[in-house]
Amino acid sequence: MITAAVLCPHPPLLLRELTGRADPGADLRVACVAAVAEACEGAERAVVIGGDDTTAQWDESSRLRAARFGGSPGHASPPPADADSAPDLPLSLGIGRRLLDDAGWSGPSMFLGVSWEASDAEVQELAERIVAIEGRVLLLILGDGSARRGEKAPGYLDERAFDFDDSLAKALDTGDAASLAGLDVALASELMVFGAAGLRVMGAVALRQGEPSRASLTYNDDPFGVSYFIAVWRF
Amino acid sequence: MLTLGRHSFADTDLLVMAIVNRTRDSFYDHGATFEDAAALERVHRVVEEGADLVDVGGVKAGPGEEVDAEEEIRRTAGFVASVRAEFPDLVISVDTWRAEVAREVCRAGADVLNDAWGGHDPALAEVAAEFDAALVCTHTDGAVPRTPPHRPAYDDVVAAAVHDTVALAERAVKLGVNRDSVLVDPAHDFEKNTWHSLELIRRLDELVATGWPVLVSLSNKDFVGETLDLPVDARVTGTLAATAVCAWQGARVFRVHEVEQTRQSLDMVASIRGHREPALVVRGLA
Repeated sequence: MITAAVLCPHPPLLLRELTGRADPGADLRVACVAAVAEACEGAERAVVIGGDDTTAQWDESSRLRAARFGGSPGHASPPPADADSAPDLPLSLGIGRRLLDDAGWSGPSMFLGVSWEASDAEVQELAERIVAIEGRVLLLILGDGSARRGEKAPGYLDERAFDFDDSLAKALDTGDAASLAGLDVALASELMVFGAAGLRVMGAVALRQGEPSRASLTYNDDPFGVSYFIAVWRF
Repeated sequence: MLTLGRHSFADTDLLVMAIVNRTRDSFYDHGATFEDAAALERVHRVVEEGADLVDVGGVKAGPGEEVDAEEEIRRTAGFVASVRAEFPDLVISVDTWRAEVAREVCRAGADVLNDAWGGHDPALAEVAAEFDAALVCTHTDGAVPRTPPHRPAYDDVVAAAVHDTVALAERAVKLGVNRDSVLVDPAHDFEKNTWHSLELIRRLDELVATGWPVLVSLSNKDFVGETLDLPVDARVTGTLAATAVCAWQGARVFRVHEVEQTRQSLDMVASIRGHREPALVVRGLA
């Protein structure tokens, strides 16, 4: 039974070791960790969902190797001694892992990558699998809105990004599972929405589980031209 | 670790030593800070710009107005006391070759003795030991203070600089100067022509390899001018290029006129070497 679903963004700048002497992701990180910590209460296991190149489950001992994104040579963590036994998590799941750690979560966790290009059938299958997990489950979804929200944004400016993100924000704030499950995948791809896969799973899970009893969007901003949302759904 | 009087610095720190001339005739600033008020104003400015230490000098390096020890003390000791009073934590160096001057400036609060004429006065190292001051050991190939080079020649200028500065450093330690407080300076342009100074930059790693912390004094010097065919007021870019190359090879202290530009250059090199984090990294990470 899913007790709560939390959506957090997954920009690398959430990793403190990557941003130099300044910490531009400080506020966002605090908000993410607070939302995850709150949702952890009463949960027995965590299921982390994030977009990746392929749909696959990752070993629980895997971690994100932040050094792939840079960082000071003196500070970067070395690659694991036996890379085969603990492959590097993809960015989305790795940020999820880090947020769980920062929130003090020590329970069992499952890491599921969802293909950016996942078919509806694939999404439904994954949702079915998640809903069938026994115990009180916290669902942590990693996903961002559009990365095309300004001339300095990673994907430059696409005016359509604003309506798209506004609709997404509304759905997250009102617990509108059907809207998430039915996201326009083609448009999301054009708008560089690196959260669509996870959001679709979030919607599909909620449709099976039953509408959330409480939904709130606690963060909605685009400080670097990418939409970041933090939302918590309680079931 | 490098200890300069009241401060210790990590081995990866790159330090800016700001020149404060108490002279009427120095080659670059032409007496701009000869008066007390102007000199103190310069100290304020260079500290704001990121200087880690100041180097106060009372005698022009080249030939010029005669300045005896008494006059040199008059120009430097009182000023050192004023700077010490106003900046209790600032590392103060004094550029002098005379032990009697060194004693007075140490009494006034100096932390470093920059013996820019290569041990010309052997008693100067004893003063450093007596006052627990740091000492810069410089290679001038025995030149008489304030004499410009005339047909200098070396079998191997780098080997000569290594040999002489290390000998001075070891002697200083034997006399009681703290081992962590001895620096070596190959002294670009001092008893060297432009070829020699360029080679001392190209092969600076050999001096660094001695293990003694290396100070370089490159600022707007004639080797930059001759290399780029530029007058003294147009050598900052060349100086900064030489600064970056020395920093990359491991020099630790940089004696300069332009503090802000040097600080930026050194911060850039430190970040390239991985010793300093960039100020802010967001591009590509949002």
